[in-house]
Amino acid sequence: MKGLMIKDLMCLRKQMILFAYTVAGVLVLSVMFVLSARFGNIADANQTMMTENNLSDIDIKNLSTLSLILFMLLPIAMVSDVTAIFRMDGKAGFGAVSSTLPLSANKRVMARYLTVFIMFGIGVGVDIVISFVLSRLTNIISFADFFGIIISAASLMCIYGALVIVFCFLFGYGKEDYAIVVSWAVILITAMLANIKKVKLIFASVKAGDSDSLDFFSEFINFIKYKYFVLFFISIIVMTASYFVSVKIAEKKRSVV
Amino acid sequence: MNVIEIKNVTKDYGDFKLENISFEVPEGSVCGFIGQNGAGKTTTIKLILDVINADTGEIFVFGQNTKNDSASLRENIGVVFDEMGFHEFMTGKDINIMMKNIYKNWDEKAFFDFLKRFSLPAKKPCGSFSRGMRMKLQIAVALSHNAKLLVMDEPTSGLDPIVRNEMLQIFREYVLEEDHTILLSSHITGDLEKLADEVVFINGGKIVLAGNKDDIMEKHGLLKCKKDKLKDIRESFIVHAQPGTYGVEVLVNDRKECVRLYPGMVIEQASLEDIMLFYVSNRCKCAGHI
Repeated sequence: MKGLMIKDLMCLRKQMILFAYTVAGVLVLSVMFVLSARFGNIADANQTMMTENNLSDIDIKNLSTLSLILFMLLPIAMVSDVTAIFRMDGKAGFGAVSSTLPLSANKRVMARYLTVFIMFGIGVGVDIVISFVLSRLTNIISFADFFGIIISAASLMCIYGALVIVFCFLFGYGKEDYAIVVSWAVILITAMLANIKKVKLIFASVKAGDSDSLDFFSEFINFIKYKYFVLFFISIIVMTASYFVSVKIAEKKRSVV
Repeated sequence: MNVIEIKNVTKDYGDFKLENISFEVPEGSVCGFIGQNGAGKTTTIKLILDVINADTGEIFVFGQNTKNDSASLRENIGVVFDEMGFHEFMTGKDINIMMKNIYKNWDEKAFFDFLKRFSLPAKKPCGSFSRGMRMKLQIAVALSHNAKLLVMDEPTSGLDPIVRNEMLQIFREYVLEEDHTILLSSHITGDLEKLADEVVFINGGKIVLAGNKDDIMEKHGLLKCKKDKLKDIRESFIVHAQPGTYGVEVLVNDRKECVRLYPGMVIEQASLEDIMLFYVSNRCKCAGHI
């Protein structure tokens, strides 16, 4: 099993180099952002928005937090593209080799999931370091709030990773793009259906042209800051279900992993 | 003892069916698994390796039903496919790191010795290897975990005669140890004539012949005669007849008896290729005679 994980990590070597550059870029950009939000042009723009657009201090903070969330998502999103392993395995015809190794389907699937966890671990670790640095430089957001955002982002990407693995196993080699599209579609549809009333309200407020939609952003930010455990538990459930479904698929289609 | 035992195995894909196949591979032997492309060789190998499920029947490897614990059985099986299967960026060193963390009996020293012997660079990505080098790399992997059984699917196809000969030599050395067995699928019958002790001939998903190679070759004969003499030959001896250079060529299934009964006719020993070609033609024509 360890051997397959090593092979998977070897497959992601190029991705890791790109990841290192992205992390460096994210760090520089986010430091520039928080410094500007505190002392520079962004601070001036915020001040103007507060006086001219009737935005409150909390709204401004939330908008800045939203920008930082995007920075935080990048490193985790980078490491969550497990489809690269499937693509490379398919191209090499590694399925034929792996199905003749002295490893059960269970262990082969487990190896893939553990690789994904390692990658997420790296993403979360890097995000924690970045958020620690940022929290020291700004009063927009504390390290505790950052932590909530990181866990939320990691949970969301875990849900995506869990779905994409199942769909990659199900569709087989060469159909990784379909797996990505279907996974995001499942996440978006589920999220929209779970919040159908709020979605209707957002559309209505946008149509009416009022600024109430900002409240939903605030609500969203508060959710991922303070209720990250909800997403975390959902991700554990989805990951567990995904693992068992993947094992069943791998037992049936034995050369799939 | 039989290392592989296949009993009444059926696998139906709809457009292709393995029909009730049964054969054995004795320990210490080289078994040539012959048949034309699409005859069912790879499907049978996949069944033996438990990569696919049989619809009916049982398969035993080292006396154990593959359904019980095929993963641990594979610890003692080295597998070589006609395509490499390793990622092109992987070097010999990478493969060693991967395999030593998979096989309990992985012999690092043996692996690097094989790479050296095959003149394979350990630090070069295998994507840059030629077809012959890729096959050798697979063989190095298959031989480096003390496998007792080597299962190979068309390992020599597409290789030049020198590399093929080199590989046959490696297989010969491998079976010098008494408990080492090879199942070698190929449609290059010349290689099997040189190497195999046993032969299993599959055609259209059915086992046509199985047994000791020398017995099979001894038993079959290639009878050459004028077309009008064909009617004199007892029908039960004829596997198939087809036009030849001087009349007709007939594959007979009892050479000794034919020599005794038809002393005026030329009857040569049939090669494995002749046997394969005539049996395949017989199935295609069904009529048996010209």
